[in-house]
Amino acid sequence: MTSKIVQWLKPFTSLKLTIFCLACAMVLVFLGTIDQVNIGVYEAENRYFKSFFLFFTLPRTEIRIPWFPGGYIVGSLLLVNLVAAHVARFRWSWKKIGIVLLHSGLILLLVGQLFADIFVDLESQVRLDQGETKNYSESFYFDELAVIDTSATDSDEVISIPGSRLAKGSKIELPLGGLRMVINDYYPNCVLISPSQLPQPDYPHLPIGPMAVAVQLEKTYKQNERNLPAAEFSIFEKDQLIGTWRLAAGFPRPISFQVGGKTYEAVLRPKRFYKPFAIKLVQFRHDRYAGTDIAKNFSSRIRLLDPSMHEDRESLIFMNNPLRYRGFTFYQAGFDNNDQTTVLQVAQNPSWLVPYISCALIVAGMLVQFGMHLVSFVKRRVIA
Amino acid sequence: MKRFVPWILGAVLIFWAVSRMLPPKDAPGLDVNGFARLPVLVGGRVMPMDTLARLALAEMNHHGSYITAGKMAEQPTRGFLDIVMMPEHSDTAKLFEVSNQEILDLFGSQDAKGQFVSYSFNDLKPYFQEIEKQASLAGQTDPETRNPFQRGILKLRDSLRLYLQLKNTLQAEDSPDFGKEIEAFQMVIKPGMQAVRDRDAGKPFDNENFERIVLFTQRYQNLSQAKYAFAIPNPLSPEENDGWQHVSQALLGAIRHGEISFPVLAYGRMISAYRSGDIVGFNDAVREYNDYLSKTIPKKLDRPKIEFLFSHAQPFLQAMTLYVIALVFALFSWLLWPRTLGKTAIVLIVGAFIIHTVGLVVRMYLQGRPPVTNLYSSAIFVGWAAVMLCILLERFYRNGIGSVCGAVIGFVTLLIAHNLQLDGDTLEMLRAVLDTNGWLATHVVGEALGYSAMFLAGLIGIIYILRGLFTTSFDEGTSKSLGRMMYGVVCFATLCSLVATILGGIWADQSWGRFWGWDPKENGALLIVLWNAIILHARWGGYARERETALMTVFGNVVTSLSWFGVNMLGVGLHSYGFMDQAFGPLLAFIASQFAIIGLGCVPLKYWRGIKTRGRVSEPKIPVLT
Repeated sequence: MTSKIVQWLKPFTSLKLTIFCLACAMVLVFLGTIDQVNIGVYEAENRYFKSFFLFFTLPRTEIRIPWFPGGYIVGSLLLVNLVAAHVARFRWSWKKIGIVLLHSGLILLLVGQLFADIFVDLESQVRLDQGETKNYSESFYFDELAVIDTSATDSDEVISIPGSRLAKGSKIELPLGGLRMVINDYYPNCVLISPSQLPQPDYPHLPIGPMAVAVQLEKTYKQNERNLPAAEFSIFEKDQLIGTWRLAAGFPRPISFQVGGKTYEAVLRPKRFYKPFAIKLVQFRHDRYAGTDIAKNFSSRIRLLDPSMHEDRESLIFMNNPLRYRGFTFYQAGFDNNDQTTVLQVAQNPSWLVPYISCALIVAGMLVQFGMHLVSFVKRRVIA
Repeated sequence: MKRFVPWILGAVLIFWAVSRMLPPKDAPGLDVNGFARLPVLVGGRVMPMDTLARLALAEMNHHGSYITAGKMAEQPTRGFLDIVMMPEHSDTAKLFEVSNQEILDLFGSQDAKGQFVSYSFNDLKPYFQEIEKQASLAGQTDPETRNPFQRGILKLRDSLRLYLQLKNTLQAEDSPDFGKEIEAFQMVIKPGMQAVRDRDAGKPFDNENFERIVLFTQRYQNLSQAKYAFAIPNPLSPEENDGWQHVSQALLGAIRHGEISFPVLAYGRMISAYRSGDIVGFNDAVREYNDYLSKTIPKKLDRPKIEFLFSHAQPFLQAMTLYVIALVFALFSWLLWPRTLGKTAIVLIVGAFIIHTVGLVVRMYLQGRPPVTNLYSSAIFVGWAAVMLCILLERFYRNGIGSVCGAVIGFVTLLIAHNLQLDGDTLEMLRAVLDTNGWLATHVVGEALGYSAMFLAGLIGIIYILRGLFTTSFDEGTSKSLGRMMYGVVCFATLCSLVATILGGIWADQSWGRFWGWDPKENGALLIVLWNAIILHARWGGYARERETALMTVFGNVVTSLSWFGVNMLGVGLHSYGFMDQAFGPLLAFIASQFAIIGLGCVPLKYWRGIKTRGRVSEPKIPVLT
């Protein structure tokens, strides 16, 4: 039985496969790093590392040809190779303990990262002004069209339509008493200008307010720059048109309409992630080195409010000292608005402890392995 | 007798190097050194005037010196005194250097042809408007996409601005005698303030005094726009850097206190004496100010004083010289008198290493930080660690390879550091995210150790290829020991890089909330780890024997140089604290040279001279790991 498994595993155990995977990984990492100049870290991460294949789009067509394995394939293959090699060749011996420790650490690291990739929420930010309280964070990359039923007095019902669903001509059924939304036009990125700034009056644009029109822009991939979408949509009840509105993310004032005695609001805004607790900014500090603008330290004193867990306490977040709470990590990412606003990055990573454990295993393994080499080397030298 | 030759030769050369590091003698005449040691707050740290002078002049021209009448001042501070005290002299000194032909065209100069053309402040005066206009246009483009003209014009504008700020650091540049001016100001403060209070209370007031105090206030408010270097210490905070003031701030503060503080008066006296050629008066003022400082802020004086000696001694330059001499000895030892010359080389390398170490430790003391905080210090440290590994290798193998490697890496890394030094203050304060000595000492130092070992392994690989291909001294023992050395060093590099990379991940998890973010510098470190893993597995699998290992370690040089410098040139990511673009050409040249060596190494073994002379073609087999 065991030998059968070994036989079956054989092709996956070869050291050649290990080297091939490592070499592929190097190519991926190299390309994925260089391309960050053009498409930014986030997009490069998705195209090279969190993907099954790298694609090459044939010029002037939509045909995408896979030409290189992506991060998921290389990573999984390496994982299979590692596990297979150890199952097939495993024979207990003290001499091998370093190698075994090291590789089990690597396996844990790979599995942990894969798990994190699948289950981890997207990174988001909380921007808080002095004294402000929020129970949600906002995505840096994605937007949503939120339709909010404000008729209840104590809570709102929010229907969120992710930006990826917003395309010209798409029809979306809203779970709000048979309402249907039709997207008439959608700009993934736009700039708001005054109507008089249009090159000519019939230049394609969406009028957003009396003073502003949205003009489509190329999508940006630059670091610290985000895309500001704009959309024109109509709401239908059954087949009857309720109205047509235009919204832009750079102009997050909601529009409102009434259907069947209920008041609804709609707004295009950065995608929100609601948390089961709230955070209030008590004080933000930004210290600089004397006589310069070089930041010495930033810190946010925040108040954590979580009635369900009976938590109401203050905490200090500063560089290299995040707040970890209920699976979320809040860390000091930046500031704005003349030091009046703090920007906290929020990450959710249930497997954050895994790298620590695998590190310990890898380091221990390497020390044992190379330490044995060194001892025998020095011994031989001394004898010689 | 012959036994002592290396020791004597080495001792003489090391003694010569050390003698060049002795503190400067206080020559009779103007006490330039006394002034050079005075503390000043620039960029958030207290440095001696000497360092400010060096940094400022390095910003203006590539040799970092003060030139009048075609002659360089022997000490930066000597010329700096003109700038801060007698600017009408320095305005005619050829301080500003331009090499870009398109910028020279703006000034109507045609005689350049790729040479540096030096201008004085007065030479450039007619073009100020044009320079400002071009610089503000250039400033609107992204730093990564600027062309040489745009970079050059911005640099010129910045040096001119810096020069203007320096002229107004200790005085108002248009003051005929600043010492007298502030004495006059002192006389006006009390009656002037009385007039102001009377006027505010609606009482009759002395109009003359009122106008005087208003005039002075406006004058010093204007002066405060030039603040860059803060020369007036804060006696109330003898340990922190808070509250240091620019002369103008101290003078405006005097209106409130009713009295001008001692440091301002002392600088005023120095300026008056300097301008009237009164050497004794100047020296007295410097001495009295020094006495005042050692009473009020004694703890802030040690570092500037040591930094002054350190800048003068230039330990890394002396170590670099010794490494070169050692390299010559070590290379010749492969041809003749192997024992004597080889031993001399080792003595020299150990001597250079000690000087290198002292320099490194003094820098750590001055900054109060672990050794690696920026690109400059990483070059110093990478070289130091590599030389230490080489000395250990030489201790075990005694075949001269360790000393050649040590001399080459010591020299090259210090040369790189020397060039990086021109970018600005190498002891700069750290940005908030780096401000954690624990992680700097582990993650950053570990990565730097990894770089050292990678370059060392690569260099041994190069020696393997070149000696095998071109020399007859490539016997089986040599090739075997080279192979073992490579393997050992690669193991060490793997250990350091992997551990440091993982520690970096943990640091990132603590400060940015994610273990791994595919940031360019992280990826650079990962590339090194992956490449080491490939080398080791290829060797364990028997796919790579000695020659293949040598080829792979040379490619390791490419990977390491990309990780060390290449990623900083991308200008993206969270780690690009040390952005630099001038090094792009040299980096490409280095990579090309490594590929050329790899190409050489791929020449079939039957053409290798070192192996032909051995009379056999096949390499010894390494047992295959099962």
